[in-house]
Amino acid sequence: MMDNVGGSSSNIAENSGIIREQDRLLPIANVGKIMKQILPPNAKISKESKETMQECVSEFISFVTSEASEKCRKERRKTVNGDDICWALGSLGFDDYAEPLRRYLQRYREQELDRANNPPKRG
Amino acid sequence: MSDAPPSPTHESGGEQSPRGSSSGAREQDRYLPIANISRIMKKALPPNGKIAKDAKDTMQECVSEFISFITSEASEKCQKEKRKTINGDDLLWAMATLGFEDYIEPLKVYLARYREAEGDTKGSARSGDGSATPDQVGLAGQNSQLVHQGSLNYIGLQVQPQHLVMPSMQSHE
Repeated sequence: MMDNVGGSSSNIAENSGIIREQDRLLPIANVGKIMKQILPPNAKISKESKETMQECVSEFISFVTSEASEKCRKERRKTVNGDDICWALGSLGFDDYAEPLRRYLQRYREQELDRANNPPKRG
Repeated sequence: MSDAPPSPTHESGGEQSPRGSSSGAREQDRYLPIANISRIMKKALPPNGKIAKDAKDTMQECVSEFISFITSEASEKCQKEKRKTINGDDLLWAMATLGFEDYIEPLKVYLARYREAEGDTKGSARSGDGSATPDQVGLAGQNSQLVHQGSLNYIGLQVQPQHLVMPSMQSHE
């Protein structure tokens, strides 16, 4: 399994309907790193559990995005935004996660606004 | 929803301000690459669909939380059983415990096929014939169409895709 972070998919692969592993899955090194942070220092993670989580996370992203996309389609909007993601989480039964993420989103937007109003001084 | 699983008790993010590094972990260690997340999201959208930056960042936060939540539960099980290594079955158990029972059936099939493929790979390394790798197993069911083009359709499941069923999200305390 490749840990390729960058690179857009080649047209050949795209046109033939084959999706490359590195486009379909998130880098296993990064997944492993996040898992490791949760574990006690002496704990280990088997290769199969990293790959299972890798598979799982891709599915989770597709599942939530698909629900958000459906909402946008019904409302005749082209752009999926953070609120749509939060709505999709709630709609799919992840209510307990949607609320903290809404707060995150609010702070994120405040921060972005702050950054726009006070650009960093150069020099 | 009152019967949803309890909020995560691990220490992955919590109430800190967005992209804050109060936990001490560098941003690139705490999050998955946004380009990859964006690519997977894009596949779930119609060709003319677009994704706002805040949607990508929200999903990035969400995915880290998801990994931490499940790993934390699996880790606790291993600690109680005095085992040091988390394996695939521990993750499936954690998912079931945390209310993702509708999603684990396809993952069980994935894990079984993965182990078969790993066994074949080890065998063929000794005998020299190039038999299936997990990547090839992954492409077996390429023509099976799931609603959101998620990743588990790549394992050629003949089972009902239960990950499209609404999760019951009951916590088994």
